[in-house]
Amino acid sequence: MSALATRPKVDAEIGKAVDLDLSGAWLVDPASGREGPADVVVRAGILESVTWLEAGDGGAEDDRGVVVAPGFIDLHAHLREPGNETAETIASGLAAAAHGGFTTVCAMPNTTPPIDRAAMVIAELAGAAASGSPVRLLPIGAATLGRAGEQLAPLGELADAGVVGFSDDGAPVQHAELFRNALSYAGMLGLPLIDHPEDLALTAGAEANEGLVATVLGLKGWPAAAESNAVARDIALLAEVVRDVPGTRLHLTHLSTAGSLDAVRRAKAAGLPVTCDVTPHHLALTDEWIAGARRFAWAAHGEDGEARDPWRDRGLVAAPYASSLRVNPPLRSAVDARACLQALLDGTADAVATDHAPHTQVDKDMEFGLAKPGIAGIETALGVLLEAVDAGLLPLSRLITALTTGPAGVLGGVVEPGFAIGAPADLVVFDRAERWTVGPDSLRTRGWGNPLADRSLPGVVLLTVAGGRLAHG
Amino acid sequence: MAGAPATAGSVPTEAPGRAWPHRHLLDTDALTWPQIQLVLDTARHMAEIVSGARPRSTALRGIGVTNLFYEASTRTRVSFETAAKYLSADVVNVSTGGSSIEKGESLLDTMRTLEALGAKVLVMRHATSGAPYLVAREFRGAVVNAGDGRHAHPTQALLDLFTLVRRMPGGSLRGRKVVILGDILHSRVARSNLWTLTAAGADVWVCGPATLLRGFEAWAAAGVGGERRFTVTTDTAAAVRDADVVMALRIQKERMAAGLLPSLHEYAARFGLTEERLMTAAEGCLVMHPGPMNEGVEIAADVAGGPRSLVTEQVASGVPVRMAVLSLVVAAAGIGGGAA
Repeated sequence: MSALATRPKVDAEIGKAVDLDLSGAWLVDPASGREGPADVVVRAGILESVTWLEAGDGGAEDDRGVVVAPGFIDLHAHLREPGNETAETIASGLAAAAHGGFTTVCAMPNTTPPIDRAAMVIAELAGAAASGSPVRLLPIGAATLGRAGEQLAPLGELADAGVVGFSDDGAPVQHAELFRNALSYAGMLGLPLIDHPEDLALTAGAEANEGLVATVLGLKGWPAAAESNAVARDIALLAEVVRDVPGTRLHLTHLSTAGSLDAVRRAKAAGLPVTCDVTPHHLALTDEWIAGARRFAWAAHGEDGEARDPWRDRGLVAAPYASSLRVNPPLRSAVDARACLQALLDGTADAVATDHAPHTQVDKDMEFGLAKPGIAGIETALGVLLEAVDAGLLPLSRLITALTTGPAGVLGGVVEPGFAIGAPADLVVFDRAERWTVGPDSLRTRGWGNPLADRSLPGVVLLTVAGGRLAHG
Repeated sequence: MAGAPATAGSVPTEAPGRAWPHRHLLDTDALTWPQIQLVLDTARHMAEIVSGARPRSTALRGIGVTNLFYEASTRTRVSFETAAKYLSADVVNVSTGGSSIEKGESLLDTMRTLEALGAKVLVMRHATSGAPYLVAREFRGAVVNAGDGRHAHPTQALLDLFTLVRRMPGGSLRGRKVVILGDILHSRVARSNLWTLTAAGADVWVCGPATLLRGFEAWAAAGVGGERRFTVTTDTAAAVRDADVVMALRIQKERMAAGLLPSLHEYAARFGLTEERLMTAAEGCLVMHPGPMNEGVEIAADVAGGPRSLVTEQVASGVPVRMAVLSLVVAAAGIGGGAA
C-alpha cells in the first residue's frame, strides 16, 4: 500500500505553476523503464528532483496505492469546437482530459467546419490558450478538403500552422488513390496519416457488430471484415508509398478486430512504418452489453477464448439497446476484445487512445440505430484499464507506456514523456486503491451518456500537472 | 392480479407460477412458458367476447390506449384498435403523416406529449430495432410493441401460437416440425416466433436464401435463450419434408436493390411455398403467413387460399390475443380507469 499518509495537496489554482512534494509514492518512469518508490519535488512548475528510495525506506512497497506517472497523451479525442459546443468545448474537453490524467490531447479535425485550413488551426490553438487549461492541445488537420474525400487539404499549410498529423477521422479516406496521395504527401512533410479504417460499402446502415447479439436483437450487422478490408488496403498502399517516400508513416486508429490487428502485426514484422491504437472500450466492453450484459470482456469468454453466450449465462442484467453503447467501430465480440488486449501486450498496438466522442443528449438519447456513434471516455480510460490490471491481465507498467511513451512514439517526438530534471513537470498522480462512481456529477465532459454510468472504477486521479501548471487537483 | 377489482370479462384466475409481472410487452423473450399459456388462456376467454358469447368487457374503461405507428400498417393497427374497443378503452391513433414526428421531434418528446394527453397504454410500431425499449424506460404507463425494426413482433408470435395450438391435435406443438420460410434476417415475426415456438417445444426450422439467413446458424448453434436449439437450412425441400406447419414470410422488393436476391422470380422458384412442395409435408400440414402476402412469390395463391391455410384465422386471432395482452399489461402496470 501507499506510504502517503495524506493526499498530495497543492495550493495553486488551475493553470498556475505548481509547488509539489511527493514523498514515497510509486513512480513509474517509462522513459527509463524504472519504477519504484520515490520522492518527487517540483518548485514553481519545474521538476527539481526525483529521488528513488530503497526498499524499506518508508516508500510505497508496491504499485497498488498512489502512483506517479508522466502525464498521459491521448492520440484521439473530439473536442467539438467549433460547431457543436453543446456537446463539448475546448475548455470542457481539456478539463475532462485533465480529470482523466491526460496532459496532452490530439484533437481530431471533424469539427464544423472541419480543421482543413491554417486559420482553423490557429483558431483552435487560440481557443486552447484562452481556455486557461495547461493541457496541451495538439491539432490534427483534415487529410482532404472539407473531409469530403475528393481532394487533398492544404497539408503543407496545415503542417506549418502546427498540426501533428492528418486524418479524416469519423470517416475513412475511401478513395484509394487519394489515400495513397495523402500518405505520400504527409510522408514528405514528416507527419503521420491517421486512418479510420472502415469499408463503407460494408457498413451502410450498420448498427452493431455482426454476431450473435446483432442477430438476436435484430440490429444490422457491422462485419469485422469492414475494418480488416480497409486495414489491408491501407497497408498495401503503405508498402508501395514507403519505397518512394521514406518518411511515410501510417497510423491506424481505434482498431477493434482480431483480423485487423493481425494484419498490423504482420506489417510491423515486415518492417513497415505502421502504428496503431486501441480504445479502452474495445478492450473492456463487448457487443453483449447492448443486449444488457455488464461484465467486462475478460469475463465474457471462456478458457478456450471463445465468446460466452450471455443468454445461457443469465448474464443480461440491464435493459437492452442502451444508445450510450453505440460507437464506431462498434463494440465487438469478446474474442476481438481479447485480441485488442493481446495486441497491447505484444506491442502490436502502440497506444491506447480514448476516441473521446461526446454528443449532446438530443443526439444520443434516442433509438439505438439513430443515435450518434461515440463514447465520451477520456475520464474513464484510466479506470477501465486499471480494471484490466486488477484482473491480472495487464501489467501496470504497460498501461503507463500505452498512455505515454507509446503515443509519443506515434507522434514522432513532439512530446517527450518522462521526468527530466529542470524541465516543467508533466505528470499525473492517481490512487489505485480508491474507487469513484461514474456519472454526470463526477464527469467534466459535456457529453451525454457514459456507458459506465453508476459503475465504480478504480483509480482516482489526485493531481494532473501539465507543463508545470496545475490541470486537475 | 390478486385484489384487482373484478370487471365484466376479467381475466381468468391465475394459477400459481403464472403471475404476469410484465408492465410492458416488448418481446416474447422474457415470457416463461406458464406466462405464454396465461396469454393463450386469457385470449380464449376474450374470444368469447368477440364471438358475442360473453358481454363486452369494461376492463379498460376510461383508459387511454394510443396506437403510435411510425410505419404504415393496416392489419396490426386495426387489430389493436378493435381489441382495445372490445375492452372499452379510449383509443387514439397516431400515424406518421402530418404529425410532429415528421417535423423531427424526438421519440421521447413524442411519448411525453402523448402521455400528457392521457395515454396510459402505448402501442407502438417503429422501423428501428429496440425503439420501444427507449420509450419503456421513461413512459409511466404500459408499452406494447407492435413491431420494432427486425427485432420483435410479440403479439404476432402470440397470435400465431394461439392459432396453431387451437388447430393442433392434442393442443400441443411439442415435437411438431414448424418451418419458418423466407426472409429470416429482416423478420421480426421470425425472431419473436423463435422464442415462443421453441418454448412450446416445437422442432423449429428456419429456411431461406443464405443472404437472408446471415447470422442465424450461430444463433441456432447457441440455442434460443442459450439452450433451445433450432435448425437452419437453405434447402426448401428438406425444410418442408414432414413439416407440420410452414409459415411463409413476406419478401420485400428492396432486397433486390440491396443485392441480397437476384429476382422475385428466382426466389419464387427456390423458396416459394407451393402445393407441389407441400406434397412431402406431413399429412394435414398447416400453412401460415403474417401478411400482407405477395401471392405467387413467397406463397402460391392456391396455397394461401386453400384448406391448409390459417391466414384468415391468424388475422381473426389477433383481436382476442391483443385483448389478452392489453388486459394483462394494464393489470401489471396498475393502471386504473376513469370509471368506478
